[in-house]
Amino acid sequence: MNSNPDAIIIGAGIVGATTALSLTNAGMKVLVIDRGNVATGTTSAGEGNILVSDKAPGPELDLALRSRDAWFEIQEDIGGGFELEAKGGLVVARSEDGLRSLRTLTAAQRIAGIDAQDISITELRALEPHLSHSITDGAFYPQDAQCQPMLAAAHILRATKARGGKFVSGANVTAITTNDGAVTGVVTSQGTFNAPVIVNATGTWAGQIAQLAGSALPIAPRRGFILVSAPTRKIIFHKVYDAEYVANVSSGDADLQSSAVVEGTQSGTILIGASRERVGFQDGIDFEILRILARQAIALFPILADIQLLRAYRGFRPYAPDHLPVIGEDPIFKGFWHNAGHEGAGIGLAPASAQLICDGIFDRPSFMNPTPFAPARFAKAAAS
Amino acid sequence: MELRHQVIVIGGGPAGLNAAKYAANAGCNVALLDSAPRLGGQYWRHTGIESDDQSRHHNFDQGSLLMDAIIANPRITIYPNTTIWSASVINGEVVLRYKDGAFITSRLILATGAYDRSLPFPGWDIPGVMTAGAAQSLLKGSGVIAGKRIVVAGSGPFLLPVAAGLSSHGGKVVGLIEAAGKFAWLPEILSLLQNPAKISEGLGYLLTLRKAKVEMRFKQAVISAHADSDGLLESITVANIDAEFHITSTYSINCDVAAIGWGFTPDTSMAGALGLKEEVAADGSVVVAVDENQRASSAHSELHIFAAGEITGIGGSALSLAEGAIAGLAAADSRTNLRDLKKIRRKARRFALTLQRVYPIALGWKSWLTPETIICRCEEVTHAAIQSAFTELDADDARSAKLMTRCGMGMCQGRICSRNVADLLDSPDADRIKGVYRPIISPITLGELAQDGLL
Amino acid sequence: MITFTFNGVELTAREGQSVAAALIAHNERITRLTRAAGKPRGIFCGIGVCFDCLIIIDGQPNQRSCITEVKAGMVVAVQDGA
Repeated sequence: MNSNPDAIIIGAGIVGATTALSLTNAGMKVLVIDRGNVATGTTSAGEGNILVSDKAPGPELDLALRSRDAWFEIQEDIGGGFELEAKGGLVVARSEDGLRSLRTLTAAQRIAGIDAQDISITELRALEPHLSHSITDGAFYPQDAQCQPMLAAAHILRATKARGGKFVSGANVTAITTNDGAVTGVVTSQGTFNAPVIVNATGTWAGQIAQLAGSALPIAPRRGFILVSAPTRKIIFHKVYDAEYVANVSSGDADLQSSAVVEGTQSGTILIGASRERVGFQDGIDFEILRILARQAIALFPILADIQLLRAYRGFRPYAPDHLPVIGEDPIFKGFWHNAGHEGAGIGLAPASAQLICDGIFDRPSFMNPTPFAPARFAKAAAS
Repeated sequence: MELRHQVIVIGGGPAGLNAAKYAANAGCNVALLDSAPRLGGQYWRHTGIESDDQSRHHNFDQGSLLMDAIIANPRITIYPNTTIWSASVINGEVVLRYKDGAFITSRLILATGAYDRSLPFPGWDIPGVMTAGAAQSLLKGSGVIAGKRIVVAGSGPFLLPVAAGLSSHGGKVVGLIEAAGKFAWLPEILSLLQNPAKISEGLGYLLTLRKAKVEMRFKQAVISAHADSDGLLESITVANIDAEFHITSTYSINCDVAAIGWGFTPDTSMAGALGLKEEVAADGSVVVAVDENQRASSAHSELHIFAAGEITGIGGSALSLAEGAIAGLAAADSRTNLRDLKKIRRKARRFALTLQRVYPIALGWKSWLTPETIICRCEEVTHAAIQSAFTELDADDARSAKLMTRCGMGMCQGRICSRNVADLLDSPDADRIKGVYRPIISPITLGELAQDGLL
Repeated sequence: MITFTFNGVELTAREGQSVAAALIAHNERITRLTRAAGKPRGIFCGIGVCFDCLIIIDGQPNQRSCITEVKAGMVVAVQDGA
């Protein structure tokens, strides 16, 4: 490299890629590094959810709403190529209790600005003809969208490079250098790179990167499995999930939670999630969980019983104890910014999170108050 | 249902049959699993009809004796039509799931065999273009001649029995097209003569082909295929090629079937699901790494997992039989005959390596491709799509290429295209071995997965 | 000899034959049309590895015609897309 970049982004997943594009569009010269390749971590293990439906009113919902629009702006900006589709979400209730809490949620979401529609059984059937007859109530969210996350990260990185950014793959960070309370650069297996701004966008591994600088972040992996069917004719038209999923997402429990999330994709496959459990970076496949996922999916869509399962994969969501992402400057080191901990919502939240980071680095007001996401909140929690 | 056996053998071809026989004769209670309805594997594939003429097979007498002995052996339980969809290690034992339950063992012998290696070229997805093994299986398994005007092409000794079998059973073979030179075997003559049985087998095929007036052409390859208005194969373009497989001139042949084989690819899908150590063999294929006793290397060192036959390296039936016997004895902790068997194995391995030197596959096949050529048949991914993922999206390894183009993501799970994609990306060995972890070995329905009582 | 139907037409087969072989014996070579391009496909690997000869058997799509034995009365149809 001829001269030092203005900012180094560690991590070429969706969060790193969108951050790099935001900073590049704001005029900075960026260098993105990754120990693997583009989108080889959690980004490659998700469904590509861009959801507003699964969030209760609060800062994360504000972030999600802005981010959902930002996704379509990115498509416009770089020319797409990542299967972005506003397919709409359908949340169904399978019990009286579930229905009551769903109605309470949609009412609150509407106040917060979400298009959350309580729908009748006739509308439900029209949206998803193969839905189980035991399901009679639901809510429809036309804003819910989806993209192919690896392609999204790769195309965003491609655009970043076309605008002057650099990418170095296979660069394992071994040290982060600091001077007088500010970061100065990174030492990697591919050489040393210096810049006054370093963004930690390493998702599930963000705590380890923070530690290299002498700071800390309480981000832990939350394991999840996804089933992928053989390509099939279109039988599922939206992202359909059980109202219990919303409760599971916000659960602090370490044990296994699982609720059906079923959706068809543009490639003809059907994706089935979603399990969550905190078991560390545990490898391999737990076939009992696959079985639970299959059962729950068939309960929603009995037609799935005859559909073939083709693949199953596992990912580790980056999980922070209060379920909020970590977006902002490190409380100890100046110039060290964290953009991580988005759990299962990283794809959806990435563009707006990148915007917050960018506005923070340029020290200018943003579309929302970033304080709830500040890394400093953990230091305070530890102190009190 | 949970079924426990002292030793479980997967695959009913030569290696698996011999593994089961030797393990049982050494005193073990053995289960022999195969996804097909009848034993024999690809090599001894047969119709199962008593009155049928089994002369379609070379060496079928040896196979029949072995299969009869297995069927009669009270220590061996045969499970035909049994497809294992997942394999994993739980509490120090291997759990092999099939649609109604699971087999459990601490001593497993994998003999999952191989399938034809295919090289992509424009039109290879047209119905009528098939592997040499497909033409062979139609004949041996169903007694059907694949077409009316058949070209057999590719490279390697397997083309001879395929062409000879078709022509001696009434098929019209309008050409046998071999990429290697007519005298490619000459430098290896001394080594080849160590195996007179194989030489005489080969001469037998040549005699059959001469009688049937099948024209043999050398240093040529099928480089494109063309469809008629119904979308069926009408003609092929054949090229004269140099040692690097680059095209020097072309001509065309009318045919309704082109049966093309470029040697074989080991089927390591189950070994991969179990996380067994793999390596890249001399011919470039990914194989299961084994020790002197055919034992594979697993992170679970308490397990006794063996691999035998084509999945440890392409080598033919004689090598498979020897490896199967050694694996069977080793799984039973027996040392009887081991030295003699290892001598046979050594000789068969040497012969296999000789054949690989006679019939090398050069990377010049990449020059046959056009941007529109399909590379991944399942997901219809073109050469251009893979190239642009590589140049524009940094997809320089198989996993990235897969996730960005969908190549290798379809129904066959990359079995046909992954080696070709690795060649197109010039992947290093480490990338080829690492592959992609595929826990679902064979598709099952979600309803089957959701059943009770599965592990 | 047994009979089965292919796209509504009655065909004969020998017991023990694969569906693909029984079809080829009647010069029927197309088992499916691809999902994206609608291109015809037929038997390719012949041994159940490549999943190219997928076909609808008794209403179930994605069946491998090369390793499924034909049975009397089977209802077989070309698979259009997935």
